[in-house]
Amino acid sequence: MIAIALILGFFFALTAEIIPCGPFYALLHPDFVALLLLYWAISSSSELSLTIVWLIGLFQDMVLGDVLGAQAIAGVIMIYLLYTSLGRVRRLSSWEQLFFIFLLLLTHRLLVWLWQAWAGVITWHFSLLLGPLIGALLWPIFTLALDYLRHALRPRPT
Amino acid sequence: MPALFFPHRYPPLLRVAVLVLLSVFVSVFSEKHPNIESVSLTMAYPVQWISMQETGFWQQADNYLQSRAALESENIRLHAELIRAQPKLLEADILRNENRQLLALLDSIPQPPGKVTVAQVIAQNFSPGSQLLTVNIGARAGVFVGQPVLAAGGVAGQVIRVSPMSSQVALLSDLDSSIPVQPADADTPLLVDGRGDIDRLAIPFQPRNTSLKVGDKLVTSGLGGRYPPGLNVGTISAVIHNGDQPFAQIAVQPAVHLGQLDTVLMLWDRPFPQPAVTP
Repeated sequence: MIAIALILGFFFALTAEIIPCGPFYALLHPDFVALLLLYWAISSSSELSLTIVWLIGLFQDMVLGDVLGAQAIAGVIMIYLLYTSLGRVRRLSSWEQLFFIFLLLLTHRLLVWLWQAWAGVITWHFSLLLGPLIGALLWPIFTLALDYLRHALRPRPT
Repeated sequence: MPALFFPHRYPPLLRVAVLVLLSVFVSVFSEKHPNIESVSLTMAYPVQWISMQETGFWQQADNYLQSRAALESENIRLHAELIRAQPKLLEADILRNENRQLLALLDSIPQPPGKVTVAQVIAQNFSPGSQLLTVNIGARAGVFVGQPVLAAGGVAGQVIRVSPMSSQVALLSDLDSSIPVQPADADTPLLVDGRGDIDRLAIPFQPRNTSLKVGDKLVTSGLGGRYPPGLNVGTISAVIHNGDQPFAQIAVQPAVHLGQLDTVLMLWDRPFPQPAVTP
């Protein structure tokens, strides 16, 4: 049940990233897949495999049509960085986690940007900073909603 | 979550390093083999399909919730636009006939009329690096790589990847995009490059004493054979002569609102490619 919910969750996160809603949404929407990965890594009791993170990122690259491997490697490094201080992050409330989430999302966005810039011209853009910021500000609501969903989907003892 | 390929006994940094190497390999490999991109676009189709359904749902909900007054005012507006457009249509007919006669006088072979198909935008990906749209028709409808894509106002971009059911369009503002143009009233060949900014293109390498000025209209020149000549591209919005720079910095406002496209026109300028007939 949880597995199906996760797969569906990643599908919807992906569609939310590509849905055509005008230029502001396209530039400033938070990276929903990265948010979902972070939530999964923080709330799951077992360690999630970096290979799976990589595969999810690769699929995201396919959907977005970017250089293959950009989201994949950004996701892996983001989750790895999270795991280096997972215990500390878990002890914080979701409001206090906000700062960590911002830094991780920023790392993610910058890594993707660098990977793309590898092939093209490097230009700075304000969305590189604002996207992660909006994502981090959404984090408390996001965790609240997903905690509720997870609670509702939890298999009950009969 | 079970470890998929890596047992967890390997140190995490080693796993990260291997995955980094794997990503480098995948990205270099996919750059070398363009077929991979079409395969990946095909694999992404389910997600795009869901996105398309969601967009359709929102549009329906929006239509349903629109008030009667808003619909009436829109109706009046569209009616006025139609009245304004009708003389232009007549004029276009007259011009087409006249053009045919003039071409006959010149003993020139008239160009076969192009074919245009409306495509719906089902996904967009704008990042500072790339400005791509995905549309809902692909190789099955005859879309090919390099096909010009138009929208209300002029050129929007060109097709860069094709899968059977969908295709990906790089907008004029994409960092990799470059289009041959000329001023509407002169034949100086120019290029307009994308800079990753949705409403600002640029003309590179023009001397500081350039004769281009703000307000000049730019149309495709037809050089390179990819875009037919005479299509609107944009208007020069700024010419900056900076003392330090070797070239003038010229900004171009695209003729199409690149950020707000929900339908585009795919243009078949050359004869429509017929599927090979098997005996």
